Amino acid sequence: MQGDLMITIDHAGCVICVGCASVCPFGAVELIGTRIKTYPEKCTDCGLCIKACPANVITLHKGVKDVKDLPAEARKKL
Amino acid sequence: MAKNGYDYDAIVIGAGPAGSTVARLLAQNGKDVLVIDKRKDVGSPVRCGEGLGEREVVAMGLELPKEVISTPILGAKVVGPNGKEIVWKSKDTHGWVLERKMFDKWLAELAVHEGAEVKVYTRAVDLVKKDGKIDGVRMEKYGKDAYDVSAPLVISAEGMEAHIARKAGFKTVHNLYDVDTCYQYEMQEYEHENLIELYFGNEIAPRGYVWIFPKKDKKANVGIGIGANLAKWKKNSGIMGAGPKILLDDFIANNPKLKDASTLVDFGGVISVGAPLDKFVDDNIMVVGTAAKQVDPIHGGGIALALEAGVMAAKVANEAIEKGDFSKQKLYEYEKMWRADPGKKVEKRLLLRKVLENMSDDDFKHIFNTITYPDLDLVMQGKFAGPVAKVLGGRPQLVGVLRALIS
Repeated sequence: MQGDLMITIDHAGCVICVGCASVCPFGAVELIGTRIKTYPEKCTDCGLCIKACPANVITLHKGVKDVKDLPAEARKKL
Repeated sequence: MAKNGYDYDAIVIGAGPAGSTVARLLAQNGKDVLVIDKRKDVGSPVRCGEGLGEREVVAMGLELPKEVISTPILGAKVVGPNGKEIVWKSKDTHGWVLERKMFDKWLAELAVHEGAEVKVYTRAVDLVKKDGKIDGVRMEKYGKDAYDVSAPLVISAEGMEAHIARKAGFKTVHNLYDVDTCYQYEMQEYEHENLIELYFGNEIAPRGYVWIFPKKDKKANVGIGIGANLAKWKKNSGIMGAGPKILLDDFIANNPKLKDASTLVDFGGVISVGAPLDKFVDDNIMVVGTAAKQVDPIHGGGIALALEAGVMAAKVANEAIEKGDFSKQKLYEYEKMWRADPGKKVEKRLLLRKVLENMSDDDFKHIFNTITYPDLDLVMQGKFAGPVAKVLGGRPQLVGVLRALIS
């Protein structure tokens, strides 16, 4: 949290089941419209969303302060 | 026009089975109800096995039109880890596999027909409070500014996410141990006998099961639910489980009737299988259905429980609106009703789930060799003593685990 974590979701594989949002104690993921929106500033790296996700589409990038620092592939998955 | 200058008598958040049921029964009694749903389509996307038992629906007086039904079900076939089958067919095991898109739409349409107002693509952003009390809901249509709508009563029928209920202080966040993470395909062609099929075994589905729910035109929902605390994405040595999709794909690859079938729909979901919320109401707010974690802990089914809770909540909400009394004491009458029935049954099922979690595949095999379908019927009704005695007769060492069911 505090800018050192980026959450990426492979939206192409996401089944919009809101499993992640259901288990996140911090409100760092939420379904808005037809897409899961992430709030990395609320994320604490607890990993619950990753374990709950049935489609295996969530990745946590640690030590990443800015979107520019993500690998190119991951930047498409915010 | 709602009473006392409010925009509505009640705002229902969520147009699923629970929300539409509450709205219909309030509107039928002349109340002004607004239902909002953040999805674009009521009933879509489907995140459900789509099974529904007949017993509860008939008890509620609902008659399903044929377009909401995919296929009627006559019973169940339960298969143990060694392939031993128990077929369970009686007039008590009738039901349907639904087309949830049509079913949810139908329930929402009934509500509108009675006079409720439904708005889709409208998301509840927060509760509105006046002098510290809930006074309505702040909502937005995407891309537009949020606006406030006033009502003395808010009903959260929000399903698994339950954001607004969470803001109102209900402990809606789910923990991994009390949810199953699930994957499902709608497949075709699958020959069936109008039975739902359930496959158990720790290698097949740790703390869960694979299901095959037949649908019309030789289709079937083929799915798996596993304890989310057991799902591991990297196979660690000695730890069971892998992702639900991986296990489901394995099951299909090893099933001669399925391995060459086509896949028409591919999706997953997460469902509560733990205890319901420790409270369902507070001043000016009620929580119903999956949002209140009113889901069967054994089979993860929530439709019947949602419909039932909707009926109970609406009865009390109607009285609350008439009397102008939205205190938690008044609204608690719904919770009290629910806790008595079906609450006690759900508690017993939770107990059963915890007991089954501690079974090895060997224990399961013994159970499948010992019990018959009348025993299953008793067990599902919470009458454990007879079947437990039978099982213990052949395997007394299970007494430690099974004792909880008969004390």
